Amino acid sequence: MKIFRGSLAVAVFTLWAGLASYASANGLREKGQSVSVAKSSMSVTPSRDWNQLSSKPGKKAETWTLDGEQLNDVTWYGGIAPGEALIRETSKKRKPLPKFTRATLLVELPELLEATYRSEKGIATFTVTGSKPDHFLDQNGVRFTYEYIDNDDLPRKGEARAVIVKGNLFMVTFDAPRLFYFDRSLEDFHALSDSAKLS
Amino acid sequence: MRRAVTFVVGLCLASASLAAPGGVKVAPPPPPYVGAYQPRGVDEIGLWKENDEDERVLATSPMVIRDEALNTYVKGVLCSAVGDDRCKSTRIYILRTPVFNANMSPNGTMRVFTGLLLRMHNEAELAEVLAHEFGHFELRHTLARFKAQRSATDLLSWAAVFAAMSNSYSARSNFDSLQLSVYGRLYRFNRDEERQADVFGIGFLNASKLRPQAAANVWRNSMAEATASASARGLPRPKFDQIAFFATHPPDAEREMTLSALALPEGRTREDGTDRYQRAMATWLPLFLDDQIKLNDFGGSDFLINALAEGGWTASLWLARGDLYRARGNPRDLVNAAEFYTNAVGLNPGLAEAHRGLGLSLLKTGRQSDGQAELARYLQLKPDASDAAMIRMLAPSNGNDR
Repeated sequence: MKIFRGSLAVAVFTLWAGLASYASANGLREKGQSVSVAKSSMSVTPSRDWNQLSSKPGKKAETWTLDGEQLNDVTWYGGIAPGEALIRETSKKRKPLPKFTRATLLVELPELLEATYRSEKGIATFTVTGSKPDHFLDQNGVRFTYEYIDNDDLPRKGEARAVIVKGNLFMVTFDAPRLFYFDRSLEDFHALSDSAKLS
Repeated sequence: MRRAVTFVVGLCLASASLAAPGGVKVAPPPPPYVGAYQPRGVDEIGLWKENDEDERVLATSPMVIRDEALNTYVKGVLCSAVGDDRCKSTRIYILRTPVFNANMSPNGTMRVFTGLLLRMHNEAELAEVLAHEFGHFELRHTLARFKAQRSATDLLSWAAVFAAMSNSYSARSNFDSLQLSVYGRLYRFNRDEERQADVFGIGFLNASKLRPQAAANVWRNSMAEATASASARGLPRPKFDQIAFFATHPPDAEREMTLSALALPEGRTREDGTDRYQRAMATWLPLFLDDQIKLNDFGGSDFLINALAEGGWTASLWLARGDLYRARGNPRDLVNAAEFYTNAVGLNPGLAEAHRGLGLSLLKTGRQSDGQAELARYLQLKPDASDAAMIRMLAPSNGNDR
């Protein structure tokens, strides 16, 4: 009986470990199949295959890529509520991140992303290069572009689209090295973000 | 564990008290210059080769600020402290990174971070920090640290082998004690190197034309900033007089006391080069300050702005303070931000960013028409601003529409 119990425990553990590794694996987001992102009411129908990274930058955020992490990252932020930071805080007490607030205006969203990147990465070279009105998720929002140099000394470019719906922030960003990858994947990002819908 | 920690803390406090004001020994002047140094032995030659490779990468880094005037000035400050002969063996790279730090590699590469330049008040303070780093270079500290680490890890590796051979509880327990004692000694070694570099640095300052008493200010200000930062975050006041087991540097309070005791009393009447420093940094401070306030360290940033304003408030300082308060965004912060932006606009009506910040703060505090008028002024001053299209949505064309 004891032996039976022991092997049952081993079997349960193996199953649990297997499920855990399955859950933590990167996921394939297939062409033409609608999928909800960042555990939110936002859904996307990609026009080509994408990979979803298993490591998530925050509770309400997830990252997709074509060629690999940091080469062409599309990060979805689904329904950030007032008082919340965009990504997970390393230390809420000692290294708090800027928060999205009820008073944050659309025009201030580039500043929020900028301050989040600067605080998290400890960098000083970040410039918002432009922002203009945009139609995203069937709402009036903002589309902005930026450039920064990460701690690896590699200059990167980014583009983001954001809207505030019922007081919550929905945003998607595209970050890629300025050399080669940004220009190559920009159209894929546009096609992907155009397909996003709120249900 | 506790005994080992107490032992290390006790030793460090003892060495700290040697240098404390009670001893009142002025730092000796630097030894005479003996010519350019070349690495000797396989370890040092290897270290220098690694540093040469790092420097090749650093020289092309996009983080490096290449402005000629700024680089010439910072190099000039180092040379004025350590002398022109010694200065020739160094290359300075100013990196746009918002941290209070500088370092120097064994091959003479000095990295100065812009967060350091933001925090210094005068030439004497900057000279002290640069001379301290130069002290590490001249005393060949990196090599000594490398050798100390190698010996320590060698010893522990052999001890682990012997402990494993003797399968007894006491062997394991002795190994644990040895491990603690070796690591404790290694970190104490690091702190002692820092103490030596402090003595060396202030020795240079004593022999220079600058006021050596300024050196202690660097650490006094550092403590005040850390206190302000912790207080705004609701954290307890940092303990500046205690040494953590893994601390690589002596505590700030000890450094402040040591440096003020080692400063030459007759040097008190010398100049500290405040005017020259402010002139050299005038065009750079708004940029360095902007890099600081976007780090989401409200207390520390507000402290730095107020420290910079001791010599008088400028439009760019009011603008930075407005940005800082608007970013935190509590209703009371927005009212304060509007006041700070108004001060900025009062001093410099052409400062477009201040009109933008004022306009946004007023809109968010319910003063719609005033806010729109300010945003319209921003667009007038900066029609091709990167966010012009977004601002135009908030401020209809005549600026007075409701």
